[in-house]
Amino acid sequence: MDIVVCVKQIPDVTDAELDVNKDGTGIDTEDLETDINEWDNYAVEDAVRLKEALGGKVTVITLGDEDSEDVLRHALAMGADKAILIDEGGFAFSDALGIAKGLHGVVKDLDFDLLMTGVQSSDEGWGQVGLILAELLGLPYASLVVGVEPGDGQATVLRELENNTQEKVTLPLPAVLTVQTGINVPRYVSIMGIQKVRKIEIKEIDAGDLGLEPDEIGAEGSSVASIRLSLPPVGEGAEILEGSMAQICDKTAQIIRDKGGVA
Amino acid sequence: MGEILILAEHRDSEIRDITFEMLTLANRLGEENNLTVTALFPGYGVSALAGSLKGACDRVLVMEAPELENYNADTYLAVLEGLIRERKPALTVIGHTAQGMDLAPALAIRSGVPLVTDCVDVILKGETMDVQRQIYSGKIQADLVMKPSETYLITLRPGCFPGGSEQGKSADMESLSPPEWTGLRRQFVEYLEAELEDVDITAADILVSVGRGIGKMENIPVVEAFANAIGATLSCSRPVADKEWLPKSRQVGTSGKTVKPKVYIALGISGAFQHQAGMKNADTVIAVNTDPKAPIFNVAHYGIVGEILQVVPELTERFKKE
Amino acid sequence: MIGTPFRTSYWHIEPVWIFYVLAALAVLVFVYGLVTRLSVWLKGVKHQKIPFSREGIRDLVLDGLLGWRIFRGDVAAGTMHLLILWGFLALFVGTVLISADYWLGHFLRGLLYLWYSACLEVAGLMLVAGVAWAMIRRYLQRVPRLERRAEDLLVVLWLLVVGVTGFAVEGGRLAAQRPDWAGWSFAGHWVSFLWPNSNGALSAYPYLWWTHALLSLGFIAYIPFCKLFHVLAAPASIYLHNQPLQVVSVEGRGEEDVFTYRDMVSFDACTRCGRCVEVCPATGAGEPFSPRDFIAWARVNLRAKVDPLNRFGGINDPSDGKALSAGDFKTQRIWHCTTCRACLEVCPVYVSTLDAIRQVRSGVVEAGTEVPTLLSQSLKNLYKYNNPWEATKKKRAKWSGEIEIPDLTKKGEAKDLCYFVGCTTSMDTRAQDLARAFVRILNHGDVDFGTLGKKEPCCGDIARRCGEDGLFEMKMDDCLDLFGKHEICEVVTSSPHCFHSFHNEYPAYQALKDPEERISFRARHYTAFLNELLVKGVLTFDKPLPVKVTYHDPCYLGRHNRIFDVPREIIRAIPGIKLVEMNHNREDSLCCGGGGDRMWQEDMDGDPKMSEIRIWEAAATGADMVITTCPLCLIMLEDARKTAGLEDTLKVMDLNELVLLALGLDRAMDKDEERQEKKISGGG
Repeated sequence: MDIVVCVKQIPDVTDAELDVNKDGTGIDTEDLETDINEWDNYAVEDAVRLKEALGGKVTVITLGDEDSEDVLRHALAMGADKAILIDEGGFAFSDALGIAKGLHGVVKDLDFDLLMTGVQSSDEGWGQVGLILAELLGLPYASLVVGVEPGDGQATVLRELENNTQEKVTLPLPAVLTVQTGINVPRYVSIMGIQKVRKIEIKEIDAGDLGLEPDEIGAEGSSVASIRLSLPPVGEGAEILEGSMAQICDKTAQIIRDKGGVA
Repeated sequence: MGEILILAEHRDSEIRDITFEMLTLANRLGEENNLTVTALFPGYGVSALAGSLKGACDRVLVMEAPELENYNADTYLAVLEGLIRERKPALTVIGHTAQGMDLAPALAIRSGVPLVTDCVDVILKGETMDVQRQIYSGKIQADLVMKPSETYLITLRPGCFPGGSEQGKSADMESLSPPEWTGLRRQFVEYLEAELEDVDITAADILVSVGRGIGKMENIPVVEAFANAIGATLSCSRPVADKEWLPKSRQVGTSGKTVKPKVYIALGISGAFQHQAGMKNADTVIAVNTDPKAPIFNVAHYGIVGEILQVVPELTERFKKE
Repeated sequence: MIGTPFRTSYWHIEPVWIFYVLAALAVLVFVYGLVTRLSVWLKGVKHQKIPFSREGIRDLVLDGLLGWRIFRGDVAAGTMHLLILWGFLALFVGTVLISADYWLGHFLRGLLYLWYSACLEVAGLMLVAGVAWAMIRRYLQRVPRLERRAEDLLVVLWLLVVGVTGFAVEGGRLAAQRPDWAGWSFAGHWVSFLWPNSNGALSAYPYLWWTHALLSLGFIAYIPFCKLFHVLAAPASIYLHNQPLQVVSVEGRGEEDVFTYRDMVSFDACTRCGRCVEVCPATGAGEPFSPRDFIAWARVNLRAKVDPLNRFGGINDPSDGKALSAGDFKTQRIWHCTTCRACLEVCPVYVSTLDAIRQVRSGVVEAGTEVPTLLSQSLKNLYKYNNPWEATKKKRAKWSGEIEIPDLTKKGEAKDLCYFVGCTTSMDTRAQDLARAFVRILNHGDVDFGTLGKKEPCCGDIARRCGEDGLFEMKMDDCLDLFGKHEICEVVTSSPHCFHSFHNEYPAYQALKDPEERISFRARHYTAFLNELLVKGVLTFDKPLPVKVTYHDPCYLGRHNRIFDVPREIIRAIPGIKLVEMNHNREDSLCCGGGGDRMWQEDMDGDPKMSEIRIWEAAATGADMVITTCPLCLIMLEDARKTAGLEDTLKVMDLNELVLLALGLDRAMDKDEERQEKKISGGG
């Protein structure tokens, strides 16, 4: 089973206090550490597990800057066999379609049974790239995947729905799957592991190699005219709810409903 | 007059909340832009169910076919692509749900419509659209101005708008015939309900977590009743597990489990470091504690300074009334 | 029969060549066994030479020949072992001598022979007595740490029968010959009276001789295949224990490297005496782990992998298998070890379970799929944020609150002393008290010092304990770079763990990287520094502090670095204080349960927990306070105090806090803390 996995490097913002950059188009990443997008990490793990069980090769692809080599090394250390880096030059301010076009340019020439990627990225969270890619490739797909069982020429896939419910569907192969967190427990990647894959060559490609016109990608190709980021109005620490017991409880009940989707 | 099209979402003969939330948004945008609101209701044997949208939109399009009994990306894509091409709605709204997330991206490509996913608010002005999103796990707000387009597609984050079946409208019911099905590849097999016997607190969406502040084991049922009322799973801090008031499997923290629920309600937990490490990634933390200086308030989003035994029963009442 | 006393060899034994064939066969089997064992040893990682070690020779005599470590803590076992060892050795030498006498010319004649005979009598009696005692200890007295496996019985029984038949052969011969000098062979002489006449003895003699000969030869052949192999492996292990720390750089690791040759040797030296089981805190807390089980597991796995004998179906002891069935070592049980070193302290043959476990952990970490979730999270944090606790670098220097501390990473802030606060002490709210107290003491003593502020890296200890050696090396480089950049030569640490890494592990790794270059800074634990201040007279305690305290030895300060007295001296320097000792103290101290990365893992505590066992022991002394000198111990014991319901009667304090109290500076600290608490900072 040959599998292609698309991954992305993201700034780790778990515990970070974020700030918006001067022109409001992005966040200050100076103090932030980078990591593989959490969803993609699950996708790589699942791909490697399928490979370990069924044989085949796993190829990881990312679109990013030079530093994105780190996520590729990370995936290689997890057990991927090949890695391709698409230079992000020209892709700045692309929308999901622009990014998907870049990936498509590489993926369309690869042979694979499954193309996997995370459901979404933890930075902008569009949740689109994998499925657009499926559509560009003309392949069947499933999103929010929490289980994959490859069979003869097809795969049985579990999708995560709301309220502890799952949906079982089948897809003919090749197919595209976007993987939900929790599908597995991604393995720990040790520094020793990273060092061992240091010598694997990473293939580098840029937008020109893919024959993409400048107006197809980047800000020009995007459906978004402009973007302005800001910090949401949230105070420091807990917002202490004040008022009478009844008022406090009313507020709390509302918060629980809003945030938890309690029916 | 142009229209806004929303895709009604339903499962197991129940209309999902997101449907009415989308209608609330659509009605507001419709009013502002002089557009009618149309709800598409695909399914099989759903005419009666579709009728319950009557009070919340101008038009309900019911499309019935055996292939539409359950959601399937292939059939829905065919239906919606055709409809968008034919009716050219100014805006199509789909829920940012397991269904909508699955459907929207491919639909946007197939029908050539610009898509914004996971919107929390939308402003439509003629052929331009501004949308608001939350990114970086809600830490950053993004305001987007879209390039002009005749038609847009968005997915709406659940819970951003109130929903209600009565929105002062009276819809016409229309029935549409399904398109010809070609190229169906994905097949729906079945729904699986998660088994509930074995409690896995890491999988819970809402956790009600109880700490030393509960005082004694006899008080646990008070909290349990609250958890049941809001459909939450009960978890605890280390001292409670240590005292065996709750099983060890319910313990949150470095020596217990790391959880990441949507809502984490910490009751009488002072928030020792080791506990915080296990829960601080929860989307929303609500803490109740008698000590206003308790460190749990550092990681909580909302705090209530008070006695659990006073706050919790009162809070439980709020959910029982429904 | 009158004449010069001498031994008639092969008296009435026909045909002698059969004996020689059998002897050759036995030796062949022995050599084969030996070679297979050695070939396993040679598979061990040996990137370092084995230098000649004078200490090694000394220990070989003390611990090997005299069995010093076996006597320690168990005189009966020591005596028993000494009897067998020396009985066996003397008989072995005696046999060599008599063979030499037979082949090289007869020198064992006359008085010399008589003394020779008498000595062998004593040796034989020692052996039989020792073996009998061993059997009594194991089967009648049923010493709890001893097992009763098939092998255990077979070995002692065999030895006993060899010894007894030896006397029977001698008795038979003496009964048949009745020489004048029979009295010198006193034991055999007594046995000879079992035969009323020489004819009966003569007819029984060949049978006895062959029985004894076959048993002895068989025994020799059996040695490499049973725990008796320790007669060779134990001296090797004892000799090797003084070798410097074995480190292998990540680059230099082979695919299959698991254990060092020293580990391999020590596994064969293990006789399953069970002393480690008695002292292991994890075993003591009822957790599914014991060092002895681990050694058995490691040995079984080694044999499965590299022992050539395994081709013939293996030679595994079935009871080894039993020890393994109680759970999976690789995925779970290896994480129970707190690396407290208690097992190594008592092991007569220096089996370093903790080092071997580290090696196994390293393999698991490298494979990645079975790393405990929380540990994996902590390691990721360590990699990215320089601490295992939180995914942020910003909070590291926040512990100091209102106290202003020079930041050595800023320009113009060069100081003589760098206080290396450490991850846990910087981040954990309870452990932060330690740092604040220490800084107040330093300020009180007008010490010119600074910290590395928020740039302070992790020392790498956490990574090394779990075998994430690449991360350890990385953190070591971070530290060395920073120390080098700011010309830091004197480092004092909060944690014995950081101190241990700096002091013992950095030099070994540095030597590996560049043998020419030395670690350019000196690291000390804060206790050493407090002591220096005390000795210099910088710290003086004016008022008596009438409290009763007990001192908990942190494993990495005490057992690992032999600092037992300094903290006690500091405590005793406080007037009015009464220091009482717990049952387990100094080398024998009980681990708090936080070491070996247990602090950063999912709960695997037994019932009661290690920390509770320890806190109860502290409470039993009637002390008002437990004093410790490690942030991990502080957190663990503080926690245990609460869960054990001792909140009102017992306090847990770091030594710095005690010193601060004795200096009368604790009030100032309380105010500081209030200010700290008022500032509720940080968002969710």
